[in-house]
Amino acid sequence: MNHVHETDEQKQKRLRARFLRDFASGLLSHGLIIAVGAFFLVPFLWMLLTSFKSDADVFRTPPRWLPYDNVRVEINGQEYPLYNVKTEDGIKQYAALEIEAGVAYFVDPAHPEAVMPIELQQGAERAAEAIYEVSFRWQNYPDAMNRGSRPTVGTSFWTYLKNSLILAFFTIVGTLLSNTPVAYAFARIKFPGRDFLFILVLATMMLPFQVTMIPIYLFFNDTLGWGDTFLPLIIPAFFANAWDVFLLRQFFRTIPEEMCDAARVDGASEWQIFTRIVLPLSTPVLATITVFTFLYAWNDFTGPLLFLTSPKNFTMALGLQDFQGQHTMLWNQMMAAATIFTVPIIIAFFFAQKTFIQGIKLTGSKE
Amino acid sequence: MDELRDFKFIRPTFRKWTQSEKRNFRIGMFFIAPWLIGFLAFTAYPMVVSFIYSFSIYHSKRPLEFVGLQNYAAMFKDELFWKSLANTGYMVVIAVPLTLFASFLCAVLLNLKVRGQAFYRVVYFLPSIVPTVAGTILWLWLLNPQTGLVNLALAGIGIDGPNWRADPDWSKPSLILLGLWGMGGTIMIYLSGLQDVPQSLIEAAELDGANWFQRLWHITIPMVSPITLFNLITGVIGMFQYFAQAYVFRGGGELGDPLNSTLFYSVYLYQNGFLFLKMGYASAMAWVLFVVILICTLLLLKVSDRFTYYAG
Repeated sequence: MNHVHETDEQKQKRLRARFLRDFASGLLSHGLIIAVGAFFLVPFLWMLLTSFKSDADVFRTPPRWLPYDNVRVEINGQEYPLYNVKTEDGIKQYAALEIEAGVAYFVDPAHPEAVMPIELQQGAERAAEAIYEVSFRWQNYPDAMNRGSRPTVGTSFWTYLKNSLILAFFTIVGTLLSNTPVAYAFARIKFPGRDFLFILVLATMMLPFQVTMIPIYLFFNDTLGWGDTFLPLIIPAFFANAWDVFLLRQFFRTIPEEMCDAARVDGASEWQIFTRIVLPLSTPVLATITVFTFLYAWNDFTGPLLFLTSPKNFTMALGLQDFQGQHTMLWNQMMAAATIFTVPIIIAFFFAQKTFIQGIKLTGSKE
Repeated sequence: MDELRDFKFIRPTFRKWTQSEKRNFRIGMFFIAPWLIGFLAFTAYPMVVSFIYSFSIYHSKRPLEFVGLQNYAAMFKDELFWKSLANTGYMVVIAVPLTLFASFLCAVLLNLKVRGQAFYRVVYFLPSIVPTVAGTILWLWLLNPQTGLVNLALAGIGIDGPNWRADPDWSKPSLILLGLWGMGGTIMIYLSGLQDVPQSLIEAAELDGANWFQRLWHITIPMVSPITLFNLITGVIGMFQYFAQAYVFRGGGELGDPLNSTLFYSVYLYQNGFLFLKMGYASAMAWVLFVVILICTLLLLKVSDRFTYYAG
């Protein structure tokens, strides 16, 4: 190396320069990562913060980050907002009993008998300003959940939540039950025609849903009369799909063939090898499939939109979409509902972070 | 696909199957029965039916009327068909490459050796698992012209923000923003590709005096080109079927609002099939979509031969 003959002073100088350079590039890296990260994080935070705001605070311009609400005081069992009111004796904190046509009817909380009507706008000046404090309005959550998108008796976001959970559960069960034996056969049983059939499996990935959508809709809706039920959304999950077959097959092929062969020599049937050897070794990939199927079923919008028509059968996705169309002004409750819709996925993510990333990489490395 | 290299050329054999082949065939069929039945019921049969519908006039509950190529001919004269194709084309040509480019840059950032990367990666990834409908509604709120965070931030630096959703020129860029926010999956795929780039190659280039940008341009980008191709093809296929976001993003308005600027191909197809109940026309549109997707995929594969580098 060319540093061998340097003096101590030169060495120190070199190290200091290197430290400065590393420090500067580290600072730049962090700065960039955080700046871009804000684009991903801020909308997310804004959803949460909006969900805690009062109806008036939502539309406040300019907005404040944190949710604010009126400071209230209780007078004769009822709550009234407090105002800073300009009086001859300086600024006093009065409660506004009522505001009508620009006139506020204030009382001093200590002497609630004497009502003082005061014109709010006095020339260019305002005679009183409401007092706010940071206050998270948790009530938005039960309000949103109990409201639902339509005034239909017995229909609320609780119904949609229940429906989404039922659909996700049966979709996961169907996906796990149906895809595993198919993938096992493609991975480990040498039957005539296997390669041709597997290419057929892969080919179906290329087919856009739109091509089969109308006949499938008519078949379930008109032929079987299953319109507005969960069946058209659940039943297909019990008949395997190309993506999961492919994913499982790739995993099954990594299980040593010798283990299966040894079992065969001992007289085990294919079914026994599949259920006793291969499946118990496959928990990681089964977890991946479970998580991703949950994600898919929870998120699905088009399927429920096609088949579910009455609000009592809506899923979270449909309910939220409908809510948005019906109550365009209730952004705080809408964000509360959106948060509740998102939370199960965030929880799943933090419990199965590795599984998530693994699954994404697996789907990405199909090539 | 690499996968297919494993397969022997499939040649029909006319000899009789041996006893064990027969047995294996029976067992195999038993195991793949769920897929086989599903394939016949939910792929093969609907494909045949949809193909027949595409040459017919079909309103559900009325008998099928065969009209030959009328549906396909009608498409040529249908202004909204061309409008929807143009809208989808806009997204395919602008949104897909933009998302790829941005994802790659984010992945490069997340691959830098700095403290706290595990946390940053979670931050970049999280929006991608927010349910589509929730994310779309959130962006409707963020892009609200008066009280939305985006326009307020723009006002803060002296820019008069556009009407976003309500402006036909800005409705598609709004959806692109929404898409960029949720590109975490693509970023993660790129990131795993970046982590697979052999460190020895980078170090060798560093010794030869290549700077950071040269290493990125001459080593990293060629090494991840198969991933770019994969992301490009899945991105293009996905964009041709773009539906839920556009459906939700119109706010309370009509499908395709404003001025049909968000009337994407799949939205118009849905509208024809399920709102106008022109199921024959919608089926014809679906087949055209299939053919367009096939052609695009094959073209991309063909063109990419020259730009994609496969190690090993």
